[in-house]
Parts: sequence; structure tokens; C-alpha cells
Amino acid sequence: MDRRRLGLGGLLRHPLTVATPSVLVMLAFFFAPVVITVVYSFLTGELFQVSRPITLGNYESALTLDVNRTMALNSVIIGVIVATVTVAVGMPVAYWLHFSAGRWATPVISLVVASMFAGYLVRIYAWRTVLGTNGVINSGLSGSGLIDEPLGFLIFSRAAVTIAELHLMLPFAIVMLYAAIRPIRLDHLEAAEDLGSSPSIRWRRLILPLMAAPMASAWMFIFIVSSSDFVTPQFLGGLDGQLIGTQINRYFRESGDYGKGAALAVLMIVFYTVLYLLIQGGLRMAKLNRIEWD
Amino acid sequence: MQYQTRRSIPTLLTTIGALAFLFVPLFIVILFSFHATDALTPPFEGVSLRWYREVLADDAVRDGLFTSLRVAVLTAVTTLIFGTAAAYGVSRTAGRAGAAYATLFLLPIAMPGLILGVALLSFFSNRSISLSTLTVVIAHTVFVAPVFFIVARTALDRIDEAQLEAAADLGATPGYRFRKVILPQVLPVLLAGAAMAFVISFDEFIVTFFVIGNESTLPLVIFSRLRRTIDPSINAISSLLLFLNLALWLAALLYSLRLEARRRRDALAQVQG
Repeated sequence: MDRRRLGLGGLLRHPLTVATPSVLVMLAFFFAPVVITVVYSFLTGELFQVSRPITLGNYESALTLDVNRTMALNSVIIGVIVATVTVAVGMPVAYWLHFSAGRWATPVISLVVASMFAGYLVRIYAWRTVLGTNGVINSGLSGSGLIDEPLGFLIFSRAAVTIAELHLMLPFAIVMLYAAIRPIRLDHLEAAEDLGSSPSIRWRRLILPLMAAPMASAWMFIFIVSSSDFVTPQFLGGLDGQLIGTQINRYFRESGDYGKGAALAVLMIVFYTVLYLLIQGGLRMAKLNRIEWD
Repeated sequence: MQYQTRRSIPTLLTTIGALAFLFVPLFIVILFSFHATDALTPPFEGVSLRWYREVLADDAVRDGLFTSLRVAVLTAVTTLIFGTAAAYGVSRTAGRAGAAYATLFLLPIAMPGLILGVALLSFFSNRSISLSTLTVVIAHTVFVAPVFFIVARTALDRIDEAQLEAAADLGATPGYRFRKVILPQVLPVLLAGAAMAFVISFDEFIVTFFVIGNESTLPLVIFSRLRRTIDPSINAISSLLLFLNLALWLAALLYSLRLEARRRRDALAQVQG
């Protein structure tokens, strides 16, 4: 923008003026709700209302209730497994799509995206059909005489939640990693090859360092989404497989204790933020945060 | 592909395994939606369309479908307007102010749906705003506008500054420049972004669950059925939803492929001509 013309008229015509209403909408409907949640977490909640006095009791109960601890632990365990496995599977898929798929790359990545569009609830439901007591796996196994009684642990367990989360998250891992691997050119691989490196060295010394930052982003995204899910556990988790989202949902939708629910939500935000900063710090220390090629 | 590819058996096998894992459960749902009996488990005993007939005659499903369509269309429109305005302002502004605006606009992307949902529920209850499809549209817009913003900004950043300066020198006002220089170049991307907003909104459950009033979107109808019973009609609803989403997505894909082909043709014509 030309500084000379920046009078009132210039200010009105400034591009950021066009963007301001949008940002105000975000402030009103994103930042204000977050602020209110933080305020609620210090108030006493009851029957879908909050009132004074100001209290730390919500945080005390959030951190000390056994049920919260169990569910939080489940969230962390399942989130770590799901994020790690999907990134570990997504990497070779991204490699194949970029370096060896050729004309197959577009149809295959399209299929992966298509599976995402099958719908969130549909995909959870699909696993109930597959894993259920009378589900496809159990009927298949008993039909072929391998088992006498259905394998009960398949559904309503942490394992069931983990499998469904893997299914929900794998497409995200593949899409994010494929987008990130595309700048790496085959020349890089061939140069390393000409210098006599083995395939495992090329993975360790070339591809993984170049992909460390996007892998960390994908990991973090998938960890956040899968560990905060409360719908999958509701349909597949049974008693043992509930995540912390279940408890937040109960406070907000069933008991109406907004204060306790808000405290749990705030703790989740804090936890995710700290984890994010730790991962970014780790990348920076390993000097993997900003690798440039070419 | 412009370069030689290389064979890699382990990564190929991983890809095949991943695709199988993603699609086998979906095929089973589709298969049993055509089941003649109400059994949801093998063996498969004959094909019928009875569940589809049942679902299509079901008022709750139809109402849910219309509510979902209304919400998704409104979300796509509001996202298109607010997202484009934000992306335009940020991409035409160098320096800190633009970056600050971008950060403010992008932050909701890092927020899990659950927390956005309960935060908005607290906000609406605190402000005594009653829950309705309007609050759902607001929530969906906050949820998808940042994603749209990324797509729109990438396209707007590619616009050649020289064209805008030339237009300005010839006396075009900012509004005229936007309509005649910028918009024709980015419109396809903006529409694709709006389509994406539509699809995300149409399928969204978690945020919706907290901010909806008495009406139900289609995912909420499915949710309440899933909770109650094992009901074979769920297979049919799910399959219909799947076909609908796939059709939308396929249309978007074909459209983008055609655009790509046209861009290549234009580029070629430019080189030759």
C-alpha cells in the first residue's frame, strides 16, 4: 500500500479492511467461546448453569477423580498408538505414491480421499459390523470351525476403539505425508544411491530427516483428533475403552456440570499445547525443523 | 509424471494393505445394505432393495437429509464469503499485520471438534442464544473457514502483482480489479473450497452434537439409531450417504481434472503462440 494515500479513504480501501469483518466473526465465535470456557472452569456448575463462587474445585476433581485418570490414560495410549501406526504406515504409502506409482498415483490417492468421504459415523458403524459378537470376523471364524464361542474381546474394548481410530485417521496420515514428500526429487535418491548408500541408509539419512517436520505435524494432528474422540468409544469402547472425551460429553450433555466439563476441556488444551511445544522444541534441537533442499 | 519411477515392493505391499484396510469394512456395509433378510451377519442370503425403500420412506431420515443440506449450503456460502474476504486481505498485505490476521483466522484449525463444540455450547448458553440450525451453521463456519482460508490464500498468492498494477494504472478501482482481474483467476479454486466446506459440514457430527437444537441433521439421525438398536436400515442410510458423498467428490474431482487440462492447454497455446 502506498503510504501517501493512506488517509481515511485509503484506510477504507486497504485490503485488511476487507478482511476485518471475517476476523471479527472468528473473534466472536471462536475466541469468545474459548474465553468463556476458561471462565466457566473456575465457576461452580450445576444443571446446565454456572454460578459463583470462584473455585479451583473443578480442577481438583478433574485431576483426582479415578475415572478421569483412567480415561485420560486411555486417551494418551490410544492416541499414541494410532498416531504412531498411521504415520508409520503412511510413510511407505507416501513413498510409493511419489516415487513408484507413476500414473497410478492419482487414482490411488483419490481412493484414499474417497474413503474419508464415506462418513465419520458410517465408518465407526462399519467396524461394529465387522467386530461385533455376531459380526463378520466372529461368524467367519465359527463358520469355519476355528472357534466355538465368539471372541468377545473384539468389540467393546480398547482394541476395537484403536482399530476404528486407525481406520478414521489413516487417510489423513497418507494425504498429509504425500503432500509433504512431493518436493523430494528422485535425483536426491539417485545421488545417494550413486554414492553407494543402501536402501536403509537412504531412509534413515535422506528421507526421514527431510520428512521429520511433516511427520511430526501429522503425528500431532492425528494424536489430537483420535485422543479427543468420544463417539467411537461410545459405540465400540464398552466399559474399558472410554476416552476422556466421554467424560467431557457427560458433564456437558448429561449432568450439566459445565464447570467440571470446562476444566477438563481447558486441561486438554493445555496438554496439547505443551505436547506441541515439546515436539517443536525437539525438532529444533535435532535441527530437523527447517531443512531446505535444492 | 515427468521422471522415471522406481519399483519398490515393500512400499507397494504396504499401500495395498492400507487400501484393503480402508475399504473392506465399507464394502461389507454396502453389501449388507442389499441383504434380503434382516440379519446383519454372514451368510449372505439374497439381494433385495427393501432397506432402501424403507429408508427413503422414512420421514426422520428425509427431515434429517433436508436439515443437513440446508446447513451445508449455508455453511458453504458463509465460508465462501468470510473466507475469501480474509484470504484476499491477507494475501494483499505484506508484513506483520497480514501475518497476525492469518494467525487469528487459522487458530481454530488446531482445536479438536469436541472442545470447539463445548466452548460454543458454553458461549451460546452464556449469551442466551437458543440452539438451532443457525448455531450449527455458525459452528460449522468456524470449523471449516480456516481450511478454506488456506486453499483460497494459496490461489490468491499466485496472482501476478504486475497485472494488478497495470489495471490500477489504467484507472481500475480496487473493486473493479477484484472482479475483473483477481476473481476470474481464482473462482474455480474458491468454488472447490466451498464444495469442500459443504462436504465437511454435511458429514460433521461432533461439533453439531453440542450446538444443535430440536432439529436433527442426518448424522444425528444415524447417531440416535445407532444408539438404540442394531437396525439393518442403518446399512442402507450409510450406503446412501456414502454414494452421495462419493458422487459429490467425484464431481469435484472431474471438475478439477478438466480445469487442469484447460490450464495445460492454455499454457501450451501461450508457448506456441
